[in-house]
Amino acid sequence: MKRLILAILMATPFLLSACAIEPLAPWDRDILAQRKMQADPYPLDTALDEHIYFSKEASHGGAGVGGGGCGCN
Amino acid sequence: MQLKKKPAAIRQTLAVATASLLGGVAQNANALETSSDWEIDSALLFYAESDRIVLAEPVVRVRKDMGNDRFLTVKLVIDALTGSSANGAIPTASPQTFTTPSGNGTYTTQANEVPLDPGFRDTRGAVNADWELPLGENLTGIFGFNFSNEFDYQSVGLSATLNWETSHKMTTWTLGVGFNADTVKPVGGVPVGLTNMPVLPAIKATEGADHAKDVQDLVLGWSRVLSRRDLLQLSLGYGNESGYLSDPYKILTVVDGATGAPVADPAQRYRYEKRPRDRTRQSLLVRWSHQFENDVLRLSYRYYTDDWGVDSHTLDVRYRFELADGDYLEPHLRYYTQGAADFYHTSLIDGQSYDFASADYRLADMVTTTLGLKYGWALSDRSEFSVRAELMKQSADPSQVIGVQSQQDLVPDVDAVILQFGYTLQF
Amino acid sequence: MPDFFLYRRDEGTHSYHAGRFEAMASPCEVLIDSEDGALADKLSHIAQAEARRIEHKFSRYRDDNIIHRINHARGKPVEVDEETADLLDYAALCYDISDGMFDITSGALRRVWHFDGSDHIPSRKAVRNILRHIGWRKIRWQRPRITVPGGMEIDLGGIGKEYAVDRVLRLIGEVSPVSVLVNFGGDLAASGPRRHGRGWIVGVEDPGNIQQHPATVKLAHSREEFELLRGGIATSGDTRRFLQKDGIRYGHILDPRTGWPVPDAPHSVTVAAGTCTEAGILATLAMLHGAGAEAFLREQGVRFWCQR
Repeated sequence: MKRLILAILMATPFLLSACAIEPLAPWDRDILAQRKMQADPYPLDTALDEHIYFSKEASHGGAGVGGGGCGCN
Repeated sequence: MQLKKKPAAIRQTLAVATASLLGGVAQNANALETSSDWEIDSALLFYAESDRIVLAEPVVRVRKDMGNDRFLTVKLVIDALTGSSANGAIPTASPQTFTTPSGNGTYTTQANEVPLDPGFRDTRGAVNADWELPLGENLTGIFGFNFSNEFDYQSVGLSATLNWETSHKMTTWTLGVGFNADTVKPVGGVPVGLTNMPVLPAIKATEGADHAKDVQDLVLGWSRVLSRRDLLQLSLGYGNESGYLSDPYKILTVVDGATGAPVADPAQRYRYEKRPRDRTRQSLLVRWSHQFENDVLRLSYRYYTDDWGVDSHTLDVRYRFELADGDYLEPHLRYYTQGAADFYHTSLIDGQSYDFASADYRLADMVTTTLGLKYGWALSDRSEFSVRAELMKQSADPSQVIGVQSQQDLVPDVDAVILQFGYTLQF
Repeated sequence: MPDFFLYRRDEGTHSYHAGRFEAMASPCEVLIDSEDGALADKLSHIAQAEARRIEHKFSRYRDDNIIHRINHARGKPVEVDEETADLLDYAALCYDISDGMFDITSGALRRVWHFDGSDHIPSRKAVRNILRHIGWRKIRWQRPRITVPGGMEIDLGGIGKEYAVDRVLRLIGEVSPVSVLVNFGGDLAASGPRRHGRGWIVGVEDPGNIQQHPATVKLAHSREEFELLRGGIATSGDTRRFLQKDGIRYGHILDPRTGWPVPDAPHSVTVAAGTCTEAGILATLAMLHGAGAEAFLREQGVRFWCQR
């Protein structure tokens, strides 16, 4: 089951790329361009949270690279 | 090519001449206003666990548009931590005395209380620098460096991320690699895993003053604009850690396999933990952002698995209510659940042999629930002040409960409060 | 195909109207931050009329306008109207401040340089000969009279489109205070913040893609997007035309002082400035600086994007 879910999720990019979504002109990206719609709108909040959960839980990573190490775990 | 006029004067002369050509439009009313060149982000975080760790963490991040699609980002963090931390031993019916990691003192835990090492005091300084630049058509590179130092740990790392935009910029593929070379230099040296914690004045067996730890990360990401209001992101993460991965300050209690009580000899009662020297982890992250009329919903889910036997699921939901004048209120819910590492043992059974063992509750079956609320004040179009308060609760289960151990709360819940003040400015 | 098209983007506080038409050999677009369809229609038609007027008046491909009269006067003085005089004054100033690099008489070089991807490099002698017909200094300009010697020609095409963008913005501003973005084939200007307080999102893209995206041209497929509240953006170097001979590549940016291509000119330069016209001149000058394009723009302290 786990593998099936993983396979479906991994196939999503290709499935979605196949269906034609009409490209957005730059000025139609005004909603997406707002800070609150960015992939990581508050990078400090994210980094601080990652730091906390890195030191309090057994799992970490997955969103990006380049965080830096810590002796807290 | 020598110019007659001083370079800066060209623009000035042009501006005046253009204004007159276009009919004397007032100059400042016609000045260029684009997105900002500078972005400054700052935050002050307080994190406090009931009876345990207290942390204060100021952060400053500066991002500068260097022109021609190039950006420099520098981040400085200071981490000041004090308080006590669970040392891994179980609570027992009688008081317990432990040797400090430095080997020149002791501390005592009262009967029926979870043993906490009170000597936690550390200050960590970290710096991150990122250089972002275009590498080709629709291809952007981000090259990063990070360094951090605390008295018993040092980390140096490099990272590179490539972002490739395709399908008319509707899709972005991301490839990121990171490498960290860390050094663990515990107080009192690196203990030999699974050897006994000596009773003062005896000295613990060590493997030297420091050990290396290397971390490699690989992330493959994909994000897609689904509509004018929707963004979907997927990322696959692969990571490997090798070297000294144990916690040099954590121990386990050796108990009688029938009664569950600690063994009688204090010199045989506690052992240093030992984790494998290698760990490979994989994760899958899905994020979706949707904007309603003005409010924004952000959902994310991460599945994580590693070869220590840890599996976890993280669900994160944020809903941003837009209030008047650019203010907002954002409730946050995070739910995390993990399965224990294969070598997690709440206590060790006397006479049994173990390859690896740790009683660190962070490797146990565990659930973390976080509830938070953030309020943001828009001070202007380009500056914002925010306050965020969160409550975190961690509940872990022991791997097994033997005999008298049932009278104890072997792995008590950890409650923490997070308070953060933030200020952001673009100019 | 209709020559004018108005559509509406309905998205709550992000609604706007867009008027589209063809002018100056480019797809043109006016984005109007308003839900009022009648107003949008009126403003779009103002834009279209002004674009057509400027095109008609200053195109060098017509035989019924002031440019044709000036270029075919065979050394006789021609008296010009106020607007043409203003543009000629402006061109003269650009010539001065650029030490002769920006020259509206340089069009005659096209008689010897044909950028058709072939290896037909003109001879040194041919270039030397044509240079005799180039140089703003050889023209007598005493407002309102201009005298162009026979064999020489002027061409305001280098600033026409940018000038039209700024003019349209100004004309619309006289009629209505709404925020507009005027985009003529990728040269554009915005008049101020939109109703929701933010600017228009614009992008900067490789002009090589223009043909593939006719309606939104340069900006549809961009490398970088940013917010433009007010001001203009223009791009210079919109083709990949070149000649190649003996392993040497000759770009199509010609230095009017030497008659030869500027070595190491960027593929394209995009500049953001207070007005579209200024941005256009700075972009053109940067191209003429060849390898020094980026250094030149940095000295000017403008936001720019160079593609090489």
